[in-house]
Amino acid sequence: MTPKYCFLGFLTGVLLPGVVETQPAHESLKPQRVHFQSQNFHNILHWQPGRACPGNSSIYFVQYKTYGQRQWKNKEDCWGIREFSCDLTNETSDIWEPYYGRVRTTLAGVHSGWTMTQRFSPWWETKLDPPVMNITQVNGSLLVNLHAPNLPYRDQKRKNVSMEYYGLVYRVFVINNSLEKEQKVYEGAHRVVEIEALTPHTGYCIVAEMYQPTLDRRSQRSQQRCVESP
Amino acid sequence: MAARQKSMSSSLMGTLAASCLLVTALWVQREAAVPIVSHCSLDRANFQQPYITNRTFALAQEASLADNNTDVRLIGTKLFRGVNMTERCYMLKQVLNFILEEMLLPQSNRFKPYMQEVVPFLARLNKKLGQCHIECDNQNIQRNVQNLKDTVKKLGESGEIKVIGELNLLFMALKNECTR
Repeated sequence: MTPKYCFLGFLTGVLLPGVVETQPAHESLKPQRVHFQSQNFHNILHWQPGRACPGNSSIYFVQYKTYGQRQWKNKEDCWGIREFSCDLTNETSDIWEPYYGRVRTTLAGVHSGWTMTQRFSPWWETKLDPPVMNITQVNGSLLVNLHAPNLPYRDQKRKNVSMEYYGLVYRVFVINNSLEKEQKVYEGAHRVVEIEALTPHTGYCIVAEMYQPTLDRRSQRSQQRCVESP
Repeated sequence: MAARQKSMSSSLMGTLAASCLLVTALWVQREAAVPIVSHCSLDRANFQQPYITNRTFALAQEASLADNNTDVRLIGTKLFRGVNMTERCYMLKQVLNFILEEMLLPQSNRFKPYMQEVVPFLARLNKKLGQCHIECDNQNIQRNVQNLKDTVKKLGESGEIKVIGELNLLFMALKNECTR
């Protein structure tokens, strides 16, 4: 929809309430479905345009706060943007805190009302991507190298600090091809896992996942890597 | 002393607190008043049960949808203001006790099925903290707990909703302050 139509829609909303729109104009401008999407603790606010203004001509303003705070804070990077999303990862980095975000738009100098998210708890709501896994064979055993998905907080020196901070572990499974049996061989935060005592000349497939023990939640599984033991 | 009694009228509480202050005042003259806190701890395993953790968060989330008041928070930094780390579990015991007896038990028919599972869990924690007491109530503890109670009561029914919407925060606070 072009800006003109959008504006007409808005005017109809203003001039003909009760006829065309049962709700006031501000209501029909308000962004819809404002919600956080959290992937690997990257917390992105998403929304859709208001009903009177479905095109991409609108500009949006984003605010956020921690639950319990009186003042909303402007998100400077998302102040007058055309996108339908805003990265609030840094603003919501204390993952055990509850947060709110809200969005409004403006049209012809008139601000819409704010549309607010539900209370958002990153720790509870985030979805995890699987780890990336590489396998190398050393003598009779397998070395599994694990890489966590990209998490916002990383300690430069000791890379698994972020795993501890987020309460995450890796899980590694071995699938014995001939027996069609799956076995968990590792659960922990180490990035290199050695799998020993393999039966010679047997096909194995290895797969890994991220796991949150306190919530019993797992990511999807990594790609399988299959090898034959020497 | 004061804390050993399970429930008391507020006037008796006041008298005891006053005498407690007097004792503290006398004591301070000799050495810095170190609160004597005992049995104020919970096993970490209580907070490592995914099922009940998930249920507590789900319950809180559902109730928080009905809580439009985003400015007022019961379990937050304000509650801990002026309270030593060592006394926080004791204070949370007071909060837990109040929330259970005055908020959750009367509401246990709402938010099914979560409430029916979460309330007994919290009641168990409350029972485990039954022996938790402190030699002298810090004034800040009493004031902060009273503030929380007053806020909840002032908000009326939406206060009850707010309490339920913060059970995840209470859960995390108990985990952080009561486990070693």
